[in-house]
Amino acid sequence: MPIVEARKLHKSYGNKWNKQEVLKGIDLQIEQGEFVSIMGASGSGKTTLLNVLSSIDKASSGSVHIEGQELTRMKEKQIAEFRKHHLGFIFQEYHLLDTLTVKENILLPLSITSLPQNEAEQWFQTVAKELGIYELRDKYPNELSGGQKQRTSAARAFIHQPSVIFADEPTGALDSKSASDLLNKLSELNRKRQATIVMVTHDMTAASFSNRVIFIRDGQMYTQLHRGDDTRQAFYEAIMQTQSVLGGVQHEH
Amino acid sequence: MSINQLIWRNLRTNLKNDYLYVFALIFSVALYFAFVTLQYDPSMDAVEGSIKGEAGIRTASVLLVAIVGIFLLYANKIFIKRRSKEIGLFQFIGMTKSTVFRIVGTESFLLYFGSLLIGSFLGFSVSRLIMMILFNLTGVANIATLQFSLLAFQQTILVFAVIYLVMMLSNWLYLKKQTILALFHTVSSTEDKVRKMSALEVLTGVLGVTFILAGYYISSQLFSGAFTGMKELFLAMLLILALVIIGTYLFYKGSVRFLLNLYRRSRKGHLNLNDVVSLSSLMFRMRSNAMLLTIITTVSALAIGLLSLSYISYYSAEQTAADYVAADFSFSSEEEATTFTELLRTDGIDYEEHVHEVLHVDVNIEDIMNTSANFNLDPSRTMLPVISDHGLDDVRLSANEAIFSGYNDLFQKFLSLRSSGTIELIGMEQTLSLQYIGMREEFPVSDYFTNGGMPVIVVNEQTFAQLKEDTDPELQYRNSHYFGIDITDSSELQQANTLYATVPIELEWTSKSRLDTSASQKMNMGLVMFIVGFLGLAFLITSGCILYFKQMDEGAEEQWSYTILRKLGFTSNDLMHGIRLKQLFNFGIPLVVGLLHSYFAVQSGWFLFGTELWTPMLAVMGIYTVLYSVFGLLSVLHYRKIVKASL
Repeated sequence: MPIVEARKLHKSYGNKWNKQEVLKGIDLQIEQGEFVSIMGASGSGKTTLLNVLSSIDKASSGSVHIEGQELTRMKEKQIAEFRKHHLGFIFQEYHLLDTLTVKENILLPLSITSLPQNEAEQWFQTVAKELGIYELRDKYPNELSGGQKQRTSAARAFIHQPSVIFADEPTGALDSKSASDLLNKLSELNRKRQATIVMVTHDMTAASFSNRVIFIRDGQMYTQLHRGDDTRQAFYEAIMQTQSVLGGVQHEH
Repeated sequence: MSINQLIWRNLRTNLKNDYLYVFALIFSVALYFAFVTLQYDPSMDAVEGSIKGEAGIRTASVLLVAIVGIFLLYANKIFIKRRSKEIGLFQFIGMTKSTVFRIVGTESFLLYFGSLLIGSFLGFSVSRLIMMILFNLTGVANIATLQFSLLAFQQTILVFAVIYLVMMLSNWLYLKKQTILALFHTVSSTEDKVRKMSALEVLTGVLGVTFILAGYYISSQLFSGAFTGMKELFLAMLLILALVIIGTYLFYKGSVRFLLNLYRRSRKGHLNLNDVVSLSSLMFRMRSNAMLLTIITTVSALAIGLLSLSYISYYSAEQTAADYVAADFSFSSEEEATTFTELLRTDGIDYEEHVHEVLHVDVNIEDIMNTSANFNLDPSRTMLPVISDHGLDDVRLSANEAIFSGYNDLFQKFLSLRSSGTIELIGMEQTLSLQYIGMREEFPVSDYFTNGGMPVIVVNEQTFAQLKEDTDPELQYRNSHYFGIDITDSSELQQANTLYATVPIELEWTSKSRLDTSASQKMNMGLVMFIVGFLGLAFLITSGCILYFKQMDEGAEEQWSYTILRKLGFTSNDLMHGIRLKQLFNFGIPLVVGLLHSYFAVQSGWFLFGTELWTPMLAVMGIYTVLYSVFGLLSVLHYRKIVKASL
């Protein structure tokens, strides 16, 4: 059974007279342990899709199931509860709290679990060491580089072992070295922990780290590519080809 | 859109956001106008004339202007900073600085003078209520009339117009200094940088608490005999003031952060959501407001302290009067006493008369003193009044015994006595040694004889006669007899008091009516309470508003973290939990520190003012706490809006 399943997702903004349809019926299945990228030009609806999948935004119609539970039917409170326990997030702008140290930021999702403190400490050490930020644990975010901040944010997403991790342009604000560092760590964690990752990106290099790339155009799924046993380089070239077909006028940046 | 439309729209949004500012402004104007109306009202002469109340009320209105003026300037500064982005935008689209200034000026003109008119009207309508409160407190039997005083209105408009001009001047200076770029960035530059604690901060933290505690300790020792002489006492008071004020400043600057840091360390990184929302922002923000918080705490402590003391004094007026006037009516001239009793008899009022002959003798009390020498008192030769036990029903002494009668808390503070020992009465020829066997609380004679509260020595009748032969005539008072007249039926007391007023008294201080003494103290203290109370109220409202505005800014800056937390799956209720805790500290810490300061201030010297400490002090503190909490609650409501809007 897929861990994330979306059926006929629609999302529109605005009112009756001035309606902007962003998602036009998307069907999507993601299996346990997959690392999926969603690509598309600006305005194609990829971030909206991620927000709807991750319950930050509400769909206009259609359904989203995660681990067999239907998010689209849940009440505000249940959704928040679900998000806390089963989902992890990585954002482009890091979304770290400035007033907390690295360690406190990372441990935040565990604060609502009944996990004993020494076990939480154990989890923290493992994930922080895997991401290479254990030494930075007592620093504040404003003392860190962008790459370090994003790895902190990733550690926060992984620590409570969520069913799915949603990443919104995680490399968007990073230089290429930090970006590939982060992506290496993400795919490593994906393999080691069998963690499911859904990542929105417009960066082809970033997408080439994943197992599957879904292309979105004008609110609909355009096509998707599976990496299979290809090398990352070969996958990258495949992505580039699709992108250039897809691109045309909408070529961005 | 024309500039006029722009102004109008801005005004409407501002009114919605800053209702509290408008409220505070209206309130201050109303208070000031009511005060000034009082000052010009002819029916106030009854209060003013008798106790120089006019000077009090005038000083109060000047202080009121100072409080309100500072508040308005401060609030204005917060507002102009908050609008810096908008102002930058105006300049960006090509408006000159003077056009922007005109927009801002016109807007605040409308807001300000609109509130001014409403405030004056409100002030006029409540001035009668205020006057009634004043009459009630001072016990002046007068009907509060009300007339609109043009003079008061003019003065109010004039004073507030001046404040407005100063406000505009500061706005102009602010605008002139700013570049477009800087205006866009003001909000972020005011933030205090997040960083680790330095050793210096730990030191300030520890020093802050130490200073405050040291101040408290000295204040509790102030009248215990540790400081002898006026000069030492005065120096000690200055020291307390300095320690407590500097300590408060350091407390906000370092101690709060230091203590929270200790707690945070102990959590070893495992913070829960409440900690995250409340702790971390408190740790970084209280520092930057240290000066403001110190001023607010100190002035509110002052207000609570003064109000408590005047209420204590007011509350204990009757007891104090009983200490100083030993009977319902006391005389020291037989002629006057007789005139009075005859008047009583013709009116058919029953009374009881006590007569004591009072000698004044130098006494050596060194042996029964607990504390060593104190103030200007020489324990080996203190002049004290002496009476015989003959006139006291409940006292029977043998020839070599003596007791002290008349003992209040004030005296106890300055001179604490052992329960027994030897005292020596020093006469012209010989010195008489008597066995001191105890203390009796009531004052048998009035303050004309007791020098305002010294105990009276009671001796056996023979001993008294013996003493009388040997007294130093230089020490004796002009009148040597005390006549105390108690009215048997207390319902006739008022009538008797009216009769007393008709008795011709030669020297005013030699005879007294207890009722009059108590009423005059109530009148004095009532006026003080009234003035301090209203100033305190004005200060409370304005400082509460300032704290609230600060919280509004803080909320806007923290909205970002709330967005993050809500994205991570914390509900707005989870967040509100932490925010309530945070506001409990934000408003609670200055409140508790202020209350503690005033408690120790009152504690150190309340006995100089009256006989009852707890009831009046707790009443004042309770009212203050309740009013102050309103602002905390309002800020929580504001935060709820912010949190709701954050996702």
